[in-house]
Amino acid sequence: MNKEIVIVGLNHRTAPVEVRERVAFDNSLLGETLQCLRALPSVQEGAVLSTCNRVEVVAATSDREAAFEEIKKFLLEQESGSGESNLEDHLYAYAGDQAVRHLFRVAASLDSMVVGEPQILGQLKDYYVAAQEVGSVGTVLHRLFHRSFSVAKRVRTETGIASRAVSVSSVAVELAKRIFDRLEDKTVMLIGAGKIGNLVARHLQRSGVSSLMVTNRTFERAVEVAAQFRGNPIRFEEFPRYLKLADLVVGCAGAPETLLRPETVEETLRERKQKAMFFIDLGDRRNFDPLINEIDNVYLYDIDDLQAVARENLHGRTGEVRKAEEIVDEEVAGFLRWLDSLDQVPTIVALRQRLEEIRQSEIEKSLRTSLKGLSEKERQAIEDMTAAMISKILHAPISRLKRPLEEREEALYVEALKRLFGLEEK
Amino acid sequence: MDVALLKVTALLYLLGTGTFIIYVALLRDFFSRVSPLILLAGFLLHTAALGLHFFQAGYPAVTELREALSVYSWVMVGVYLFVQLKYRLTILGCFVAPLAFLMSLAGIAFGAGGGELPPGLKTYWLPLHVTLAFLGNAVFALAFAVSLMYLVQEYRLKSKRMTALYKPLPSLERLDRLNYIFLVWGFPLMTLGILTGSLWAGAYWGNYWSWEPRQISSAITWLLYGSLLQGRITAGWRGRKVAFLTIVGFVVVLGYFLWGDSVFPSRHAGRFE
Repeated sequence: MNKEIVIVGLNHRTAPVEVRERVAFDNSLLGETLQCLRALPSVQEGAVLSTCNRVEVVAATSDREAAFEEIKKFLLEQESGSGESNLEDHLYAYAGDQAVRHLFRVAASLDSMVVGEPQILGQLKDYYVAAQEVGSVGTVLHRLFHRSFSVAKRVRTETGIASRAVSVSSVAVELAKRIFDRLEDKTVMLIGAGKIGNLVARHLQRSGVSSLMVTNRTFERAVEVAAQFRGNPIRFEEFPRYLKLADLVVGCAGAPETLLRPETVEETLRERKQKAMFFIDLGDRRNFDPLINEIDNVYLYDIDDLQAVARENLHGRTGEVRKAEEIVDEEVAGFLRWLDSLDQVPTIVALRQRLEEIRQSEIEKSLRTSLKGLSEKERQAIEDMTAAMISKILHAPISRLKRPLEEREEALYVEALKRLFGLEEK
Repeated sequence: MDVALLKVTALLYLLGTGTFIIYVALLRDFFSRVSPLILLAGFLLHTAALGLHFFQAGYPAVTELREALSVYSWVMVGVYLFVQLKYRLTILGCFVAPLAFLMSLAGIAFGAGGGELPPGLKTYWLPLHVTLAFLGNAVFALAFAVSLMYLVQEYRLKSKRMTALYKPLPSLERLDRLNYIFLVWGFPLMTLGILTGSLWAGAYWGNYWSWEPRQISSAITWLLYGSLLQGRITAGWRGRKVAFLTIVGFVVVLGYFLWGDSVFPSRHAGRFE
């Protein structure tokens, strides 16, 4: 009967972007999706999380295996369109402490593509709120999500992890300053609308870059982003023509194919009389051909390179991830202790014990004082009567707790009982 | 007297070398400000020593290699101080200071006294020719230094070995522009150096060009730097290629300056007949 957490999903490590896109939840149908999830027989509480880097289902269940099966099927039903790869090959499934640890790590941005990036926590909160509105989360997931938020907060305040995400963009700026004398007279071209790309572009702009071009497969999006940066939107088909104007090219498009080949860059360089170019590839699939780095006066860094530089330059920060993982471990243990305590059997036992204690001590007190001198028979009658009272009082709540139909609320009641009767301290 | 001054000068250049190294290691502002000042003090003493020699002998101390080295280091430090004033490139001192120290050391290592100069050569052609040629060479030495820095910085960026983002090395763009500036200054100076030498030779020996080894090596470097400058201005050469060629050019100059004269006896090596 004991509940546990299960997580089934895929992320940037297990699935390429086109697979992630295929299962990404439609946010306008989120309510229905959550209802469907909760309707699964094995799922007592459920929530989803769907960002560009991950699609995950979090559930509380009493039957791990059945939940795995049903949630996998549920995800497969979400799949829109099909590709060469089998979705199931990209899925992971965690249960128990592993699932709790996973969610805590996600919240703390330890599982992010750019470790320490702050957006994930906000997204997690949004999906939690949505699940709360639909009522698909109960005591266990409430507690789980709230704990994950506080884990994220602890990791952010107690470790230097958060500054690492910033450092990817500041490393990009630092490198740009190693190549270019001043950024004020330089032009940036931003390809794609990925978040990290935006972050880097913003950082570059703050460091003095005045001119910015934005291009995106959907022109409206380019216009939107360009407005944000007070830059110029460019049609995607035309961006190679404008390339010669760009000193820095930031690629953050979720494109499966390479956007720039060495030949294009060589041609561009001839057009700009060999003036140096700095390519920053932040796409989760490479936007730029790595061979571009071989061209004279051209420098190409991808996100891994930037992170490597960031790592090597952050002295004393190497231990930060470990410190964060320790915080997560600590919190996982704490949550599991709480979850264990939610089990109804020990709670019922504890409740009975508590009432029995009260009964015993009250009888004893009365028999010593006001009921002094009662006969053995009368004493027995009082014993029986009080025991029966306790038993009657407990009958409804205990049978409710035990009724399988109401299983989803079990944790809620257990929690309530423990608080109302002060069973927790025991 | 001038030897004593030269010794103090060398000591100051050594001290400057030390503070420049500390600057690179610690990146403290204090050392970036004090190091050029130490070099300036050395430069002033050096000026006094060379001036003393000039007034005593009536011609600059350039008749022997060791003397020439000393004068060369003086010119180089002077050019560096000017560049530092104008472009604030403290790290260049890390290259100039040790070189100046070693060269000025050579200047005092073998004691006083220089080669005897035939009276007919004691004209103003000598200081003019030597100053221009040395100025050109000193500017090329700095071009060499910034090109070396360029290659180091470029290699680190390309190979992604930016372990310590390494503050003191200037940006590639800046180094490349300084290379251009030094070429633009160095090339006319070198041209004038060769011209004055040729005119002087024409006035003294009667022929302007005698295919001396030194003349040939100068002509080669002149062509090299000339085409480099030409490539930069018209063909848009820049970056690694230019840096590499600048280094090659300077190695030829330096190599000949140091060893050429001992291999090929010539008028530049004290054979004035």
